[in-house]
Amino acid sequence: MLMAILVSNSAGNILLERFNGIPSEERLHWRTFLVKLGADNLKGARNEELFVASQKSVYIVYTVLGGVCIYIVGKDEYDELALTEVMFVITSSIKDACGKSPSERLFLDKYGKICLCLDEIVWQGILENTEKDRIRRLIGLKPPNPTEI
Amino acid sequence: MAQPLVKKDDDRDDEVDYSPFLGIEKGAVLQEARVFNDPQLDPRRCSQVITKLLYLLNQGETFTKVEATEVFFSVTKLFQSKDIGLRRMVYVMIKELSPSADEVIIVTSSLMKDMTSKTDMYRANAIRVLCRITDGTLLTQIERYLKQAIVDKNPVVASAALVSGIHLLQTNPEIVKRWSNEVQEAVQSRAALVQFHALALLHQIRQNDRLAVNKLVSSLTKGSVRSPLAQCLLIRYTSQVIRESANTQAGDRPFYDFLEGCLRHKAEMVIFEAARAITELNGVTTRELTPAITVLQLFLSSSKPVLRFAAVRTLNKVAMTHPMAVTNCNIDMESLISDQNRSIATLAITTLLKTGNESSVDRLMKQITNFMSDIADEFKIVVVEAIRSLCLKFPLKHRSLMNFLSNILREEGGFDYKKAIVDSIVILIRDIPEAKETGLLHLCEFIEDCEFTYLSTQILHFLGIEGPKTSDPSKYIRYIYNRVHLENATVRAAAVSTLAKFGAMVDTLKPRIFVLLRRCLFDNDDEVRDRATLYLNTLGGDGAVVQTGEDVKEFLFGSLDIPLVNLENSLKNYEPSEESFDINSVPREVKTQQLAEKKAPGKKPTGLGAPPAGPPSTVDAYEKLLSSIPEFANFGKLFKSSAPVELTEAETEYAVNVVKHIFDGHVVFQYNCTNTIPEQLLENVTVIVDASEAEEFAEVASKPLRSLPYDSPGQTFVAFEKPEGIPAVGKFSNMLRFIVKEVDPSTGEAEDDGVEDEYQLEELEVVAADYILKVGVSNFRNAWESMGADCERIDEYGLGPRESLAEAVNAVIDLLGMQPCEGTEVVPNNSRSHTCLLSGVYIGNVKVLVRLQFGLDGPKDVAMKLAVRSEDEAVSDAIHEIVASG
Repeated sequence: MLMAILVSNSAGNILLERFNGIPSEERLHWRTFLVKLGADNLKGARNEELFVASQKSVYIVYTVLGGVCIYIVGKDEYDELALTEVMFVITSSIKDACGKSPSERLFLDKYGKICLCLDEIVWQGILENTEKDRIRRLIGLKPPNPTEI
Repeated sequence: MAQPLVKKDDDRDDEVDYSPFLGIEKGAVLQEARVFNDPQLDPRRCSQVITKLLYLLNQGETFTKVEATEVFFSVTKLFQSKDIGLRRMVYVMIKELSPSADEVIIVTSSLMKDMTSKTDMYRANAIRVLCRITDGTLLTQIERYLKQAIVDKNPVVASAALVSGIHLLQTNPEIVKRWSNEVQEAVQSRAALVQFHALALLHQIRQNDRLAVNKLVSSLTKGSVRSPLAQCLLIRYTSQVIRESANTQAGDRPFYDFLEGCLRHKAEMVIFEAARAITELNGVTTRELTPAITVLQLFLSSSKPVLRFAAVRTLNKVAMTHPMAVTNCNIDMESLISDQNRSIATLAITTLLKTGNESSVDRLMKQITNFMSDIADEFKIVVVEAIRSLCLKFPLKHRSLMNFLSNILREEGGFDYKKAIVDSIVILIRDIPEAKETGLLHLCEFIEDCEFTYLSTQILHFLGIEGPKTSDPSKYIRYIYNRVHLENATVRAAAVSTLAKFGAMVDTLKPRIFVLLRRCLFDNDDEVRDRATLYLNTLGGDGAVVQTGEDVKEFLFGSLDIPLVNLENSLKNYEPSEESFDINSVPREVKTQQLAEKKAPGKKPTGLGAPPAGPPSTVDAYEKLLSSIPEFANFGKLFKSSAPVELTEAETEYAVNVVKHIFDGHVVFQYNCTNTIPEQLLENVTVIVDASEAEEFAEVASKPLRSLPYDSPGQTFVAFEKPEGIPAVGKFSNMLRFIVKEVDPSTGEAEDDGVEDEYQLEELEVVAADYILKVGVSNFRNAWESMGADCERIDEYGLGPRESLAEAVNAVIDLLGMQPCEGTEVVPNNSRSHTCLLSGVYIGNVKVLVRLQFGLDGPKDVAMKLAVRSEDEAVSDAIHEIVASG
């Protein structure tokens, strides 16, 4: 299960969060924990450099993309390697939607499009689509190219 | 399509600019949402408002029921628009709002229209939305379309239907299971993602059908799997097949070659999955392990932190069971100690501590010392525990390891971290005699500057036990006496007791200890003064070098050997008088306590709690009590003790409850009796048991209670023989028989002559649940799968009309007496179906797992499907019999 996807700006303010299977009373704890993790480790990190952590039986993969930080939390089959795959899809789709690694402002400008991308990538905690080109077409309700299946 | 909220040039991106959502406010956005109701819809404007709503929701904002309903109804109007971008946003919005069942109907027809649309993308999205918001009734209506969609030639439509299936399987398993033919077809799809989703769903549908999983794995391992994700799934399912066939097949392990082949796959994800699968094989041999370890070793020096983490995490696990297999990686592992990622560094260190040999300990400790200062407490605790195990493994290295522990004890750290270190030192002192003196001195130095009262008192207590037995006990006195000057009252009182222990145990120190204790008589705390006075008056010799009597030592420092609850009760009942309190009057038998049957598995022994054994658990206490009674000593191991069952009403003359102790071939009833009449003394108390309604039981022994004074509980026992290993049941009627003597309230003395009397008690039943221990499992699904379907028994039962589903679930749980797992005993309000998972151990130590599926059949009638798995088919049958006859 992909338990959470969270995007913050470099100051730790939440721009976007999607939780699956985490009760609302525990969300604040996760938010704080992830943002602190980023504050401790992401300073000076290279763009798209992947970081990994584990907390009990839960795995966390996080990175910096332009002016935003992205955190993904998973458990069971979504271990650090599967999360890396998910992170790759998310970062490439965001870059695709924004035209480049986004600044915070650009991320917010393309917010609607990014929400649609995430909707195609993860559905209630399960990975659904993994190809950025396909996702680009799907958010415009266009069928995927027959060649790319 | 979603439009940017503020149109602007990309080259302005990097400027510090205001957020398009600056000052966004829920009320205002809800007002804006009225634009959805306009007769002339503006798709661009509507998309912008939806984006704002999504922004609010993604910030953790919640809508009230009324707000959500209003927005939902407005959003449904947007189906009128033909704008594709807006339609896509509408789908997302409906999912995010998750409308309630009574609202869904508004949008159902629009979505069903989209689901049968000629536009593939409408179909795919409508399926996803419908499956998100649907309930069972609607699902049956759209099932036909979903089955078609699974085999749709457009991969997006097929994937949407398959992923919907994965979600729906949780809520409507019966319906989704009917799709297995279509899903099977989708597994053969040329589209990689369709195959991945189909494989996941098919396995979930058939996970309990061992043969089907075996067939699926056999066919796919031979054929081609089109994506690394699907390949990973296949590896997992293959491991399951290997695990389940381990006991049935001889010779080479089936499918091992497949796993080994996956180690050479081009995707790292697949390589890791295969390596992990191999390392987790039951009884894996070195030959099988080697290729996996070699591959993992290569990843230890990868430039990607995720791969290093994955490799070291897997090797750390292997090191727990096969440390020798990992030693080849030690050099690579050592370089990871300085890894920037602290999770990787900690895993590397704890692995090295498990795999290192005696000669490398010193070098390792040097490296760890540098590392400790910059990791968090939670990682430090892991390292401390690993060092403790290492020291116990190589006792000759205790000097350097103990030094390391004492050094980190002086550094900054929270309570849990400090406690872990102190516990480790205590364990080492206890297990390695040579480490005792240095260890005690380290602890002494620590309490000189310890901010935690709990740790100080515990260490002082420990010093009192171990210090006097050392070659030079006097050197500890300074540290202890300093506490009397410098600490709070709790620590001061503990220090006084410790000083007294030294005085009592070491005769030569006694005169000097007396001097110190006399100074404590002027302490400003009552407890400290009281303790000092007590010790000065009891240790004897008035400070001369004389031996303290054994009886005094026993009185002051010996274990009480009385249940504390009984002592507390007796003290409460004691009225101050000329006659002093007599500790011998406190009953030694264990007073009835609420039974905590669930044992704490894997509970680690803590250092400080151990020296004077802590109070035993109730189960242990029962076992000890019963084995001390000669008549029951040969009954073997106690299987289970029930919770006490009351046999009298509240506030009657005599209060009696019974605990049923189950042995393999015997049952012992322990009657806990309390006499609540101050003017009576009961003697020769027994319970006469009529077992005529319990045919398989024969009384073999009875142990009367000699005396039952007022408000001082006592026990009498009756034992029965029963057929060995058989869960015999029956009903027993009970009569309390005793000799009653009048007691003179003024003197408390009983008359010499008594009268025989009887008192009718309630009936008692031995039921099937008494033969099942509540033992939980941490992961039911894993336990269920690894148990296998060999001894599975499934049947369906009608439970008739019930108050509620929850009441029916609880009744079955009580009937079986098993442990509910994963919180499944809780039934959500208004649900019409529920699955409950139970686990336990049946008499004869046979593990049993039960999966109960309840459904409401009509307004009140409850139907239940019972699936039982155990290690013995007779036990699975027995569980069904219990339910059938309950």
